[in-house]
Amino acid sequence: MNLTPTEMAIVLEGVGKTFKKSSRRKDSSTLKTEFIRILLRRRKVVEPTWVIEALSEVNLSIPRAKTIGIIGRNGSGKSTLLKLMTGIYSPSKGSIRVNGRISALLELGAGFHPEFTGRENIFINGIILGMSRAELTDRVEDIIRFAELGDFIDEPVRTYSSGMFMRLAFAVATHVDPDILIIDEILSVGDEHFQHKSSAKMKEFRDGGRTIVLVTHDLGTVESWCDLAAWIDGGRVRMMGDPKEVVREYRRAVSSAEAQASGQSPLSSPGLALPELAPAPPMPVTLSSVRLRNGHEEGSPSAFSSSGRLHVLLDYVARETSASAFAVEIRSADGGLLFGTSLTAETPAGQGTATLELPRLSLGEGAYEVLARLAPRDHRETAPLRASLVVAATADVASGPVRPEHRWSVSSRAVAPEASVVAGAVDPGVEP
Amino acid sequence: MLNRQRPGALGEDGGTRPLYLVAVVLERTMISKIGAVMRRNLRELWQYRGLLWALTTRELRARYRASVLGFLWTFLNPSLNMVVYVLVFGVLMASPVERYPFFLFCGLLPWIFFSSSVVGGTTSVSDRRDLLTKVRFPAQVLPATVVLTNLINFLLSLPLLFLLGTLYQDLPTWHIVFLPIVLVVQTAFTLGLTYSLSALNVAFRDLQHIVANLVQMLFFLTPVLWNLDSVGDVSRFGLDLSAQQARDLLLFCNPMAAVMAAWRDIFYLHQTPAWEPLGAVALLSLALFWVSSGVFERRREEFAELV
Repeated sequence: MNLTPTEMAIVLEGVGKTFKKSSRRKDSSTLKTEFIRILLRRRKVVEPTWVIEALSEVNLSIPRAKTIGIIGRNGSGKSTLLKLMTGIYSPSKGSIRVNGRISALLELGAGFHPEFTGRENIFINGIILGMSRAELTDRVEDIIRFAELGDFIDEPVRTYSSGMFMRLAFAVATHVDPDILIIDEILSVGDEHFQHKSSAKMKEFRDGGRTIVLVTHDLGTVESWCDLAAWIDGGRVRMMGDPKEVVREYRRAVSSAEAQASGQSPLSSPGLALPELAPAPPMPVTLSSVRLRNGHEEGSPSAFSSSGRLHVLLDYVARETSASAFAVEIRSADGGLLFGTSLTAETPAGQGTATLELPRLSLGEGAYEVLARLAPRDHRETAPLRASLVVAATADVASGPVRPEHRWSVSSRAVAPEASVVAGAVDPGVEP
Repeated sequence: MLNRQRPGALGEDGGTRPLYLVAVVLERTMISKIGAVMRRNLRELWQYRGLLWALTTRELRARYRASVLGFLWTFLNPSLNMVVYVLVFGVLMASPVERYPFFLFCGLLPWIFFSSSVVGGTTSVSDRRDLLTKVRFPAQVLPATVVLTNLINFLLSLPLLFLLGTLYQDLPTWHIVFLPIVLVVQTAFTLGLTYSLSALNVAFRDLQHIVANLVQMLFFLTPVLWNLDSVGDVSRFGLDLSAQQARDLLLFCNPMAAVMAAWRDIFYLHQTPAWEPLGAVALLSLALFWVSSGVFERRREEFAELV
């Protein structure tokens, strides 16, 4: 990345963070010893065995308007890193620069008071999160609408279900409108419907040019959502770059640690770094591109028709002749799997193309994503290539994500015997 | 206001050795730094006044939320408190002080403001793990919230004092103009003390228990229940002091005694408060606030880690 410092939202340089072990602090420092120390004006002596090094030599530059996913094992230092970015902790070493208003969703509902109504809590929580009273007055209706609490908004929060509580807290937190949003594992709030809403809200943030720093264990989210990923391991940045690459290496390290694990596993002690890995051997086959066609046009059309054809072309390069598995998935905009298929075939050395043909697409209007994978047989799953698929609106009366070929008929036997009427046979959007 | 020159610059001039030493001491004790820290402390408090106010109103409204009598408890609590003391000291021990309930109330209300602030303020930082580890804000808002909450509670209970005065046909005189001055002195003293205590209590949790007991002890050493003039001959305890000297000792060694005396002067004796003890407390408060800001600043980085 050759970006100037002003294009960086957060820059960490040589950041280290150490914590004193509280078990040692008890006998090393009491009110009396502290008092004597202050009287004698002695510096506090910190022996290295008394401290835990949570982070060391972290250099991380997060570009503006990018979404970065931070992954790593429990205790690897991810949350400490977030708290340093938000300024809750101050670094023991190094410097942190932040350009822009920062908002952290580390825990929802900070300062919520159970005796107060939802509406009153919006104001208290909002101000705690850094909004002004005027901003809150402007946004309070939006927040209430987003939280979907109905009349409960004027009831005390202690009467809320935990889902309602979280929805309200999430609604306030996401209406802060920051330049930089820091999120620690809280996207999975509420039911299915609310999760869709919250991921739509996150999308709105991302598309609005905000910087998002996301700590999560959901590697799929990192792959599909983030522009960048950083892998924190044993208090250091082990890898930073393309999310697919980083996630792949992380998965490799975890499974290799699991494979070695017998009793005294490195996984059973939190915070310990994962074993170093030999660089991955070059794949015998790799996918070079994925192309979408409608069967009668050159190039990729801007939109596909519900009833038209879809051809998915997978271009690959094979270093050696081997058996490979091709896989194609169609996913909805929020990542839900709609359709998946795969094929294992011999791939001779050289370049080639595999084609998946769908004679009739049968999808409702909207935006979808096509994921294509290619892996040698018996190999773990690899990162997919993606292509976006837009299905144009049709004139028929149909709804939902799938449009199977369908036909209506109404028959009547009541008055006119033997009169069977076929009413309105519909084949949506017939090709011109 | 302070010597900001580097000690080295002074040391080159051979004839200023004592001055040099003073400068070194100032530098070492970081008094100049603490001065800047104090200003920053207050500036941040002002910047975050929205948060301060939101937390204060939250405390005030939460205090009596879900109770049947609600806001009335602001008046009932000190009144019932007073009834207990009047029963013991006014009736059973027959205090010679005239209009004893009113006399007691003049001191009890400001004392409740002081003691609730100090006792509540000591745990104000250590109890707010939920905020400190999740949101970034200047931590001095927390002790300030406790002091402000109790200050407002005190102001709200003042009408009760005037009501009691009316019953004794003891209406406030023009001396009430001194009220803001005494109030500022007491608030500054309380806030300064609370800053230090709240910061130290994060690492040394014993402090909250020590403070609770010390405040209790100070209550009896402060002329709230008794009149300073009633301090008589102490020589029979082996102290070589006249009664006047004993009173002065109490007045100047206990900042709260001077403040209480000032409240009594305004409401009960209807006279101009004595300036010397009050001025001494004002200076002490400034110094305390100064040092406390430094203590707070040096400790606040560890708050989020230790709470």
